[in-house]
Amino acid sequence: MIPSDHFVRFYNEIFKYLQKQGPEAIAEYYQTISKHQETHCWEIFTQKGIPGMKEYWDNIRKEENCDGEVLECSETVYRSIMNNCPSLSKVVDNDAGASDIYCRHCPGWVMPLLTKCGYYCVEDLVGLDIPRCQLSIFKNLEDARAYRERVLKRHPGKPELVESNFD
Amino acid sequence: MKPEEMRYCSTGEVHLDFHGSTYVGLKYLLDHFGMEAVDEVLSSTAEKVYKSIYERLQRGDSSELICHWRYYLEREKCDFTLTENPDGTAVLELRECPALRQLAKENINDRPLICHATDKMNQVWCANSPFEIVVEHLEKGCRQTLRRK
Repeated sequence: MIPSDHFVRFYNEIFKYLQKQGPEAIAEYYQTISKHQETHCWEIFTQKGIPGMKEYWDNIRKEENCDGEVLECSETVYRSIMNNCPSLSKVVDNDAGASDIYCRHCPGWVMPLLTKCGYYCVEDLVGLDIPRCQLSIFKNLEDARAYRERVLKRHPGKPELVESNFD
Repeated sequence: MKPEEMRYCSTGEVHLDFHGSTYVGLKYLLDHFGMEAVDEVLSSTAEKVYKSIYERLQRGDSSELICHWRYYLEREKCDFTLTENPDGTAVLELRECPALRQLAKENINDRPLICHATDKMNQVWCANSPFEIVVEHLEKGCRQTLRRK
C-alpha cells in the first residue's frame, strides 16, 4: 500500500511517465482527476458557491498540512495564498526527483471543475519549482479578467505562470 | 529504526482521500497504456522514490521497511499487528487495509488493482535482495510475511 502521506511522490512518477507520452495524455489525466474530484467538490461547490469552496479548501489546508491563508472571501470572490505548498515540497524532497510540470496538476483539475460549476479562476503559479501560489475564484467574468491582467503584470515575459479558465 | 531516521517521515494530519487519488492514477495508466505502464510507474516508485528502503533491502537490512510499515499504518489508524524478529524477518497482519477502507467509502470496488500495487512494489524491493514478501489476502486486508529467501 502506498501511504496517503506519500501519494504525491507516486503521483509525480505518473506525471513523469505521461510527459513521455505527450501533452494529450497529460491533459486527459487532468480531466480524469477533475472528474474524480467532483465526488468531493461538486455538491458543496454547486450548493454553497464560493463559501462552499472556502469550506472545502479550509479542510484541505488542515488535512494536507498547508501553510496558506485566505486573503478574501465573499459571495463573489475567493482569494487564497499558499505560502508553502506541502505537495510540491514533498515532490522536491524526493529521491526520485521532481517532474517539471508537477505544479500544473492543480490548475489542471481545478479549472475544469470550476468551469463546469460556472466560476472563473486565475492561478498565479509564482514559479514551477517554488512551493507558493495564489488561487483566485470569481463569480463575475469581468472581475476575473481585470484580476488576471494585474497578475500578468507580476510576470513580465512569463505568461505561462498564470493559468485561467477563460479567454 | 526510529521513524525520524526514515528517509520520509511525514507528520501532521493525514489526507485519506489520497487513496482514491492513487486508485484513479493506477486506473488511468491501466486503461490508457496497459499494465506495463502501471508496472513501470510502480517500479520507479519502489526503486527511486523509496531508494532508501530499496537499497537497504538489497544490503540485507529490512529495518526501514518494517519501520515504514509500522509508522504509516499507525498514522492511518489501521487494525494491524506487526511482529518483528531479530533476524530482520517480520509478519504484518493487516486486518483492515486503509486503502481498501477508503475506496469502499468512495464506492470504488477494484481490489485487484490496489493489491497489485502492493505486490509489484514488494517484488521490486525484494528483487536481488536476500528477502521475499509473501502476501496472503484476508477479508479486508492482508498478511505480508517478510522472510529470507
